[in-house]
Amino acid sequence: MQTPAIADSAQPRLAKGVRLQIDSATGKNVVLFPEGIVELNETAHEILSRCDGRTFSEIVHSLAEEYDANAAALAADLRATLSDLHRRKLIELT
Amino acid sequence: MTAPRPYALLAEITYRCPLHCPYCSNPVAVACAVLSGEQARQPSSALRTAHATANNGELSTDEWRRVIREAAALGVLQIGFSGGEPLVRRDLAELVRAAREANVYTNLITSGIGLDDDRVRALRDAGLDSVQLSFQSDEADLADEIAGARGYERKLDAAAKIRAAGIPLSLNFVIHRRNIDRLPQMIELAETLGAQRVELANVQFYGWAFLNRAALLPTREQVDRAREIATAAKARLSGRIDIFYVLPDYYETRPKPCLNGWGQRYLTVNPIGDALPCPTASSAIPDMRFENIRARDLDWIWRESESFNRFRGTDWMPEPCRSCPQREIDFGGCRCQAALLTSNAANTDPVCTLSANRAKVDAMLRVVNSARDHACEWIYRENPKTLPGSFQPRGIMEQRRSG
Repeated sequence: MQTPAIADSAQPRLAKGVRLQIDSATGKNVVLFPEGIVELNETAHEILSRCDGRTFSEIVHSLAEEYDANAAALAADLRATLSDLHRRKLIELT
Repeated sequence: MTAPRPYALLAEITYRCPLHCPYCSNPVAVACAVLSGEQARQPSSALRTAHATANNGELSTDEWRRVIREAAALGVLQIGFSGGEPLVRRDLAELVRAAREANVYTNLITSGIGLDDDRVRALRDAGLDSVQLSFQSDEADLADEIAGARGYERKLDAAAKIRAAGIPLSLNFVIHRRNIDRLPQMIELAETLGAQRVELANVQFYGWAFLNRAALLPTREQVDRAREIATAAKARLSGRIDIFYVLPDYYETRPKPCLNGWGQRYLTVNPIGDALPCPTASSAIPDMRFENIRARDLDWIWRESESFNRFRGTDWMPEPCRSCPQREIDFGGCRCQAALLTSNAANTDPVCTLSANRAKVDAMLRVVNSARDHACEWIYRENPKTLPGSFQPRGIMEQRRSG
């Protein structure tokens, strides 16, 4: 199944059964899901921790502000990353 | 060697179960001890477990709470509540709550029998993260024949209740000779029931399944077709349902990386509190002594005990593993399989074609692939006594015995 392009108004959220937390043994951020644990790099964590009901545009602006980055370039990267996370069923899009 | 941190705990909270699946990985000796008190006096670990289980030696709620806290402190991030049938224990929701309080992700691995509205609500309120519901097949007659009990309709009902409660649902199918041709229908059932995830796992041969190998092992033709079907379904359902297909390892040429290495990521605590590097080790490796959480804390057992250290790392390996470039990839395969097939847990897993014992696997493959109508009867799992006042399964069918 092809993931459809993510609209500016789409609201990515953590998928049902997926939890984001700190691994107390390492201090690193991880996502937990049925039979799976993934350690997140800083970028993935910055994105996933904003998947809380904000729209795609709002997430772009929030990240652009935080990292003092160009919003247009950031939007393209974010779209690709969110599509990947969606394909791996870690986020839902509404 | 230094112990790494574990990621997941399998909490086998009871061996009691309303089903009688002939491939159950629980120790066969549990049933033997129920049948014969004499055997339970023998010092083998599995029999000691069996004896204690039959006499309600199961850990208490508070003891499990302690295990959960100690596991979390060791680094465990996921707990699977399993059995037997974990719903048999009335304190299941309390244990789920204890795990959530320790910030541990909770999976329930269940037959669904006994899951009524009240219990689904209690489990959801306790914070249960995910349910893996087992199905023996996609249709009632075959499913109930395999389970040795009527349960199929109640499983459908359980699936609906889990979905209605908003808990993510996985479907687990154990695949074998009698149901492997129904893979497409099983996948269809998962779609119908709204599962997020499906495990189509060919039976691995431990416990009851080891006894029933000749009846359970599929033919090569069946295995090849099943692999194609699973691969196609995986592509078709990508992004909707995650499909995991587990091959029957007897048909492989290299062993599975069992447990990702002994004492590396996983630990099991069984109903009476023995801490095991692998759930089947207590029955498959008779010369290994396991520590009990009533006598030791989990941290000590994980780091210091002989059972967790015996096959840690690569120093224990004999040839051909010792000098094999794959030794850090498959870790020599499965210790329990080596013990069951060669009577020595330290041998190379005989699935490996480099093993001197590969002939033992090939002999079994010849049996199931040559005789067109070889005996397909199996022995059903016998269950430990259901204790007074606890969950009583209804509608158990007459058990069929092969002889």
